[in-house]
Amino acid sequence: MGVIGKRVAYYPGCSLEGAARSYDVSTRIVAKELGLELDYLEDYNCCGAMESKNVTFMGTMLLNARNMSLAKKQGHNVIVAPCNGCSFSLQRAEYFLETDKAVYDKVNALLREGGVDPLDQIPQTYHILEWFYHEAGPQKVKEKTRKPLRGLKVANYYGCLYTRPHFYARTYAHAGGQDEDARPRRRETADDDEHPYYMNALLEAAGATSVEFEPMHTQCCGGPHSLSDEMVSEKFVMMILQTAKRNGADIIATECPLCHASLEMYRHRLMMKGVPDVDVPAAYFTQLLGLAFGYSANEVKLKDNLSDPLPVLKRLGLA
Amino acid sequence: MAIHERSLVEPERILRKERLVVDGVDVSGDWNLIILPRVINDYDLDFAKEVINSPDGKTINQCYQCSYCTASCPVHNYWDERYNPRHFIYLARLGMIDELQKRADVMWRCVSCHKCTHRCPKGVLVEEVLKAILRTMAKKGLIEEYPSKKFDKFFTESVLEYGRIEDGELLFGWIEKQGYKVFKDPILKKPIPFIGETPEWLKQLTMKPIKSMNIGFLVLNAKHMLFHPRTKNWSRFKQVLRKVMQEEGALH
Repeated sequence: MGVIGKRVAYYPGCSLEGAARSYDVSTRIVAKELGLELDYLEDYNCCGAMESKNVTFMGTMLLNARNMSLAKKQGHNVIVAPCNGCSFSLQRAEYFLETDKAVYDKVNALLREGGVDPLDQIPQTYHILEWFYHEAGPQKVKEKTRKPLRGLKVANYYGCLYTRPHFYARTYAHAGGQDEDARPRRRETADDDEHPYYMNALLEAAGATSVEFEPMHTQCCGGPHSLSDEMVSEKFVMMILQTAKRNGADIIATECPLCHASLEMYRHRLMMKGVPDVDVPAAYFTQLLGLAFGYSANEVKLKDNLSDPLPVLKRLGLA
Repeated sequence: MAIHERSLVEPERILRKERLVVDGVDVSGDWNLIILPRVINDYDLDFAKEVINSPDGKTINQCYQCSYCTASCPVHNYWDERYNPRHFIYLARLGMIDELQKRADVMWRCVSCHKCTHRCPKGVLVEEVLKAILRTMAKKGLIEEYPSKKFDKFFTESVLEYGRIEDGELLFGWIEKQGYKVFKDPILKKPIPFIGETPEWLKQLTMKPIKSMNIGFLVLNAKHMLFHPRTKNWSRFKQVLRKVMQEEGALH
């Protein structure tokens, strides 16, 4: 404990300011309750998500380097991102800047040219779930829980990029094939790379029950293609939802706005098509924690969820 | 002989006979399946060099073709078995451009879930390498515009313009790009949702939940859509980004 720090730079990313505002609001609530402090990263820009990196390599490096530079300027060595895509992009940039001297030099030169302070030291990026688990932990969640989520069966959906790839997220002890310098080391705070459990632990501490959800807990939802290749996304989401439903889940807990949006959108579409066993609503894990901490459904913005988890929660007497 | 990755063999090169007699000897049974040989003489060795020279593609030579990436890949397993990362790396290294081109219709299907990279025992950044291959192909004009690339470009341009993206504007802008007529307001030139043409699935998708939705949520998103959130101090940085992208050939 105490590796990451109680006060960090908070990189919300574009979607948390727009369609996923509920995640932003509930994250702030949970952080406050757990005694952690988020320092909003002023004037950040988009991380490029999963799209820009397919178009331009150096451009995506620059986008992320600018955010890192802003964090340094605010006096932080640690950035925390609540979105899998954002934390992936920042960690990816971190990896290339650390292992490739040519990229590092070029990025710094270009940053200076663009009127941003160059990076003398590269800040580390963590996913917000990692941060909550390590700086507060299940024990603290248990202490703070006023209304336990008793009887709620949750399928914890981590999505793909939370622990993957181990080169960027550093979830694995070693990686073969590369020379010693470029070999990423597993970090102390990292979740298990194939069987992540941080969200399970936090929600169980808040009184919920986790259902069997492997291997779908890290299966891709088809997010990057959700607007350009609908059939793939639809199939993947169908597999995720059906696995959750058939294992008895009341609700899917998510930790990424992209996964969340994808699950909600395609859930509705699948239901219209009459596909069986897909009617599991999704909620951010921070929303569920917020409920457990005694906040109302309105305060954690449960109404903003397209898939409407309120009826399920009401039935169990939790909202 | 068993063919483990049957999808790699074109059906017209597989010869199957009920009875097969070679030089007067009946070899029917296990040996009645023949794969016709092929001759390759138009390989391009510079192709792999170009991939290796890009920072995200340089691990391509560490691959020893164990196929762990393909075995992990959800697109291969659940969608289209012709999507085969190991094979794409193999073809790119040999410079077999025409074979790559034959698979151009599935190569863009990667969902970027990074299972391949995660599990590679040799430290190949498989996903990055495949994207580098695709990028090189696009640069050489070997692959046509494909849906996800169009979207990627559209997304990147939006980032370049404002520094940030806005979900609603992105969605309706993308719908407009696909040929639907989207109505725009005359002053700010921003698309107005659901006025004009909208794909049927999207209408059904949003109209039902919209009734039960929080009014604050709707107002916030409408506001964001009209007044796109911008990053301040962006214009100078934008010039640099533009320059870099032009150098990479990503912007015209």
